[in-house]
Amino acid sequence: MIRAVMVMNTLGKPRLTKFYDFQHVEQQQELIRRVYAVLCSRPENVSNFVEAESIFGPDTRLVYKHYATLYFVFVFDSSENELAMLDLIQVFVETLDKCFKNICELDIVFNYSKLHTILDEIIFGGQVLETSSTEVVKAVEEISKLESAANAIIPKSVSGWLSRST
Amino acid sequence: MAMSGMRGLSVFISDIRNCQNKELERLRVDKELGNIRTRFKNEKGLTPYEKKKYVWKMLYIYMLGYDVDFGHMEAVSLISAPKYPEKQVGYIVTSCLLNENHDFLRLAINAVRNDIIGRNETFQCLALTLVGNIGGREFAESLAPDVQKLLTSSSCRPLVRKKAALCLLRLFRKNPDVVNVDGWSDRMAQLLDERDLGVLTSSMSLLVALVSNNHDSYWSCLPKCVKTLERLARNQDVPQEYTYYGIPSPWLQVKTMRALQYFPTIEDPNTRRSLFEVLQRILMGTDVVKNVNKNNASHAVLFEALALVMHLDAEKEMMSQCVALLGKFIAVREPNIRYLGLENMTRMLMVTDVQDIIKRHQAQIITSLKDPDISIRRRALDLLYGMCDVSNAKDIVEELLQYLSTADFAMREELSLKAAILAEKFAPDLSWYVDVILQLIDKAGDFVSDDIWFRVVQFVTNNEDLQPYAAVKAREYLDKPAIHETMVKVSAYLLGEYSHLLARRPGCSPKEIFSIIHEKLPTVSTSTVPILLSTYAKILMHTQPPEPELQNQIWAIFSKYESCIDVEIQQRAVEYFALSRKGAALMDILAEMPKFPERQSALIKKAEDTEADTAEQSAIKLRAQQQTSNALVVTDQRPANGTPAVNQLSLVKIPSMSNVDHDLGDQGVTQTNGTLTVVDPQPPTPSGGDLLGDLLGPLAIEGPPAVSVLSERNLVSGVEGASYADERLAIAPVEEQANTVQPIGNIEERFHALCLKDSGVLYEDPYIQIGIKAEWRAHQGRLVLFLGNKNTAPLVSVQALILPPSHLKMELSLVPETIPPRAQVQCPLEVVNLGPSRDVAVLDFSYKFGTYVVNVKLRLPAVLNKFLQPISVSADEFFPQWRSLSGPPLKLQEVVRGVRPMSLMEMANLFNSLRLMVCQGLDPNPNNLVASTTFFSDNTRAMLCLLRIETDPADRTQLRMTVASGDPMLTFELKEFIKEQLISIPTAPQAPAPVPTQAQPTKSPTASSDPGAMLAGLL
Repeated sequence: MIRAVMVMNTLGKPRLTKFYDFQHVEQQQELIRRVYAVLCSRPENVSNFVEAESIFGPDTRLVYKHYATLYFVFVFDSSENELAMLDLIQVFVETLDKCFKNICELDIVFNYSKLHTILDEIIFGGQVLETSSTEVVKAVEEISKLESAANAIIPKSVSGWLSRST
Repeated sequence: MAMSGMRGLSVFISDIRNCQNKELERLRVDKELGNIRTRFKNEKGLTPYEKKKYVWKMLYIYMLGYDVDFGHMEAVSLISAPKYPEKQVGYIVTSCLLNENHDFLRLAINAVRNDIIGRNETFQCLALTLVGNIGGREFAESLAPDVQKLLTSSSCRPLVRKKAALCLLRLFRKNPDVVNVDGWSDRMAQLLDERDLGVLTSSMSLLVALVSNNHDSYWSCLPKCVKTLERLARNQDVPQEYTYYGIPSPWLQVKTMRALQYFPTIEDPNTRRSLFEVLQRILMGTDVVKNVNKNNASHAVLFEALALVMHLDAEKEMMSQCVALLGKFIAVREPNIRYLGLENMTRMLMVTDVQDIIKRHQAQIITSLKDPDISIRRRALDLLYGMCDVSNAKDIVEELLQYLSTADFAMREELSLKAAILAEKFAPDLSWYVDVILQLIDKAGDFVSDDIWFRVVQFVTNNEDLQPYAAVKAREYLDKPAIHETMVKVSAYLLGEYSHLLARRPGCSPKEIFSIIHEKLPTVSTSTVPILLSTYAKILMHTQPPEPELQNQIWAIFSKYESCIDVEIQQRAVEYFALSRKGAALMDILAEMPKFPERQSALIKKAEDTEADTAEQSAIKLRAQQQTSNALVVTDQRPANGTPAVNQLSLVKIPSMSNVDHDLGDQGVTQTNGTLTVVDPQPPTPSGGDLLGDLLGPLAIEGPPAVSVLSERNLVSGVEGASYADERLAIAPVEEQANTVQPIGNIEERFHALCLKDSGVLYEDPYIQIGIKAEWRAHQGRLVLFLGNKNTAPLVSVQALILPPSHLKMELSLVPETIPPRAQVQCPLEVVNLGPSRDVAVLDFSYKFGTYVVNVKLRLPAVLNKFLQPISVSADEFFPQWRSLSGPPLKLQEVVRGVRPMSLMEMANLFNSLRLMVCQGLDPNPNNLVASTTFFSDNTRAMLCLLRIETDPADRTQLRMTVASGDPMLTFELKEFIKEQLISIPTAPQAPAPVPTQAQPTKSPTASSDPGAMLAGLL
C-alpha cells in the first residue's frame, strides 16, 4: 500500500501532500521536514531509494524523483515493488505534463485543486488505480468539463438543499 | 502567471508566496481562516463557486501545516447536495480533512450509499473515492454488497468498476467478513478474465489482498494469473495506452507475480511449466538500456520475477541463473539496479546452495561499500554481514574496519556493531579478534558500545594464551598520542590484570606502565577513574618486591581521591588504600580475575533484538543457522582438581583454581580453599547446547566459598552484574544474613526453562541444588533428579514425594533420607504419558539442615511438549491434512491477546524449542508461521498436530492461532498450552536469565563466624 505522496520543492516547501493513513497536521509537517532533510543532502546520479524506516516506521520504503525544482516522493510498504513505484511517479509527472503542457513548479502551485484531481485518478486509497496516463487524462478532462459546465450556469439559489439538510 | 480555474484561490496562493517570513504567512493564513469562518456562518449568501473556492483555500492552508478545525460539518453536509460542483467539494474536503474515526462521517453514510446505488456515474466515482480513502468498519458493513454489485456489473463503465474494486479492497481490510469467501471466489476468478486493463489492474490488487489473507479459497485464480502473465509478457496482447516505454503494462505484470507469491506452491504441472516458461523469458530477455524509465520498468518486472522464482523454489539451475543475473546487476552503472541487486542478493542468501556462488561476487560487493550513494552502501553492508562466515570473515571484517575511517557518521555505529559481531562469531583465531576490537575502538571509539569492550575483556580473561598478547597490544595503543577514552578503559583494565606477564619487556616495568596510564587520568571522565584506580591497586599488588617510590605515588593518588565527591571513586580509593596496607589480604582480594561463565554474547543478542528490515532480518536469521567459529568457545581443557572437563564443546568454564594457586603460592600465601570446585550453575546458552547436560559427570555443587574466593567472586559479580562501567570493580558489600532459607534464582523461570530443554537446575538454595536431566522417547520419559548437598554438614530428613496428575504414570526410585556433605544423589523417575493434558506433576520436597526445615513444592517439567516429536511436513502433505481437519473440535482457532511481544524469529525459535517444527515457506504470508509435530501418548496413537499462527506486524501483542489434530482433546490442550507459552513465558528460554547465584555470594551459616568472612564484610 502507498502510505503517502509528497511533492515539495528543492527548498522544502510542500506543493502537494496526501497521506493515505491519517496523520495529524503537525505530524505531517514533521514528516515532510524529515524527508526533505534527507533528500536535500543527496547528490545527483545516485539511486532513487532512501532508507525510510527511521522516519515512517518499520516496513516502509521511500522512492523519489527529482525534476528541476521539485521532488516527487512516494512512501509505501513492502507489498509494493520499488521500481514500479518509480514508474508510477513517472506516470504522474507525464500526466501532469500532458495536462499542463510543459509543467513547471508554478503550474503546480497555482493549480493545486487540479493536482488533487489528477492524483486521485492515479492513486486510490493507497492503491494504484490507473497506470495509463492517456486514461488518466481522459478521466480528468471529463471532470473538468463537468466543473466548467456547472460554473457556466450560475445557479439561482442553493438554499433549497440547504434548508432540507439543516 | 499560470491560469487557474479559481481566481480567488490563485490570489490567495500568490499572497502566501509573497510573505517574507513564516510570521507574515501565519498572519495571512489567520486572516483568511477568519474570513472563511464568517462566510460559512451565513451560508445563504454563498454560491457553489465561492464554497468551492473557500474549501480549496482550507485545503491549501492545511497542507501548509495549519490545523483547520472548522467547516467539517459544512463539508460533510455538502455531500448530499444535488449538483455536481457542491457534491465534489463536499467529497474532496471530507476525504482530506476527516479520518475514518470522525463522528461526522457516520452522518454521511446514507448520502454516500445513495450516490453509490444511484445511476449517476460521476456521483458513483466521487462516493467510491471517499469510501476508498477513509471508509471505516461501519462503511464496510453497510456498503460492501453495493460496491460488489458495481464491480461485477456489466453495465458499468470501467472507470467506475476499477474504483469499485479498490473500494472493496479497502472495505475488506476494514472488515474481512464483508467478503463472503464462498460466494466471492468464483466471481474473483471471473474478474481476472477482464479485458480492460484498468479494471484488471485494480482487480489484481484486490486479489493480492484476498489471497494474502486466505489463499486456500482462491486456488481457482492461480491459473488465471498465469494466463494474464502469458498474455502480457509472452503475447504482448495489450492496447497501446497500456504499453509503457515499450513494455506491456509493467505494473500489471508485477502485481500478477506478486499475487502468485501468495500461493504456497503450484501443484498443477502444466500451469507450473507455463509459468516457468514466462519467467524464463523475463529473466533472459531483459537488458540494461539507455533510457532510464524503460530500464526501471523492465527491471521492476525482472526483480518481481526473481522474487517469484525464489518463492517457487526453482531448480538449482534456474537459481544460479538468478544469482548470475544479480551478479551482473550489482556491477552496472544504473544505481537503482545496483541497489536492488544487492538487496535481492541478501534475500537470496536464505536460499540454500547459492551462498558459494554469491561469495564469488565478494570483491564487487566490497566495492559497493564505497559507492557514492549511502542507500547502496547500506545494502552492501547488509549483504556483507549476511554472507560472512568462517571462510571469509577475515577479509570482510578487515574491509569493514578500513571503511570505518571514511564512513558517514550515520553508518558508523551500525558498522562497528556489525564488525564486532562478525569478528566474534567467525574469528579464525583469538589474537585476530583482539586486534579487530582494539582497532575498532581506536578508529570509532564513540560508536563502540560498552558491550563490545566488556566482551573482549571476557575473552581475554577466559583464555590464558591470549593474555600476554592482549597486554602487549594494550600497551602499544597507550603510546599513541590521543586515544579514545574507551581505549583508556580497556587498556587500563587489561594492563592491570596482565601487565605483570610483560615484566621483562622494555617499557613494561610496573613503574612505566603506571606512569603511562596515569598520564591519561587528567583527560578521562569520572566513569573511567574507578577503573584506573583498580589498575593502580593491581599494579601495586603485582609489584613484588614492593617499590617504595611507586607505592608512595599510588598511595598519594588514593588519599587524594579519598575525599572525592563521586561515591564510587571515593569508595574505591578508601578501600584500596586500606587494602594495600594489609599485605597478604591485598593479594587475596586483588588476585587475578577468575574466568567468566560463558553466556550469549550481549552483542549478538542486541543485534537480534534491534528492529531490522526484512533483508537484514534474513541476514540475521542466517547468522543463527551458520556454523560459527569455534575459536572463541574453546573450554579450558585442563583438569581442575582432578575432574576432567566434561564436554569439549560445552560452554561451561571451570575456573582453573590451580592458576590462582600458583600465583598465590609464589607469594607464599596459603590457599585456604584449594579443594573447591566451582562449577557455573548457569543454564546453558541457547547456542551452546546442554551445559548441564553432564550432571552425570562431576558434582555440580557450589559450596560456600571461603574468604578469598568470596571476595574474589564479589569482584566478579561487580563486573558481571553492573551495566555501568563505574560499578565494575566495586567490591560488593556482603549482604546481611537472611532469617529464612531463600531459594536462589527464580523457581518459576527455572521451571519454564526446563520446559524447553531437558537438563538444568530445577531448584537451588544455599544448602541444596536439585538438577534434572531427562530423556524422552515417544510417550515415555526418564527423568533423573540430582540432589546435591552444598554444605560441609549432611542434609537430613530428606523426603521427595511425587504428586502426579491423572494423565501421567510416575515412579520415583528411593530417595535416601540423608545426603552426606558435598555429595550428590541421583534419583531416577519413570514417566508414562497416558493422554493429552496440561496438568503438571509436582515434586513435594523437604529436608532439614541444622534448625532449618525446608519444604518446597516444585512443578516437574514433564509437560505436554515433552511428548511431542517434531516432524517436518512438506506442502503436499500439509495442505490436504489441514483441509481435512475442517473445523471444531478437531481444528480450533482463537485470537490470543496480551502476547509477550517477540519477533517472528523469536517465536519460531520458541516453537522449535517446544518441539513444534516450524515449516519455513509453507505460509506465503511472511507474518505467519506454520508448524507441525507428532504427539505421543499411551491412549492415542501417534497424532499429527498442525499449527498456524498469524501475527499482526502492527500489533505484536495479539495473534490468531489455529491448531488442528485428529483428537479433539489434544487440539484443545495443545492450543491452551501454546497460548500459555506465548503469554506467560519469561525471557529465560532465549537468553537464560542472569542467574542470581553468580550475582550474589552464596551465604552459609558458617560464613558469619568465619573471621575471613567478617573481614570481607568490613570491606
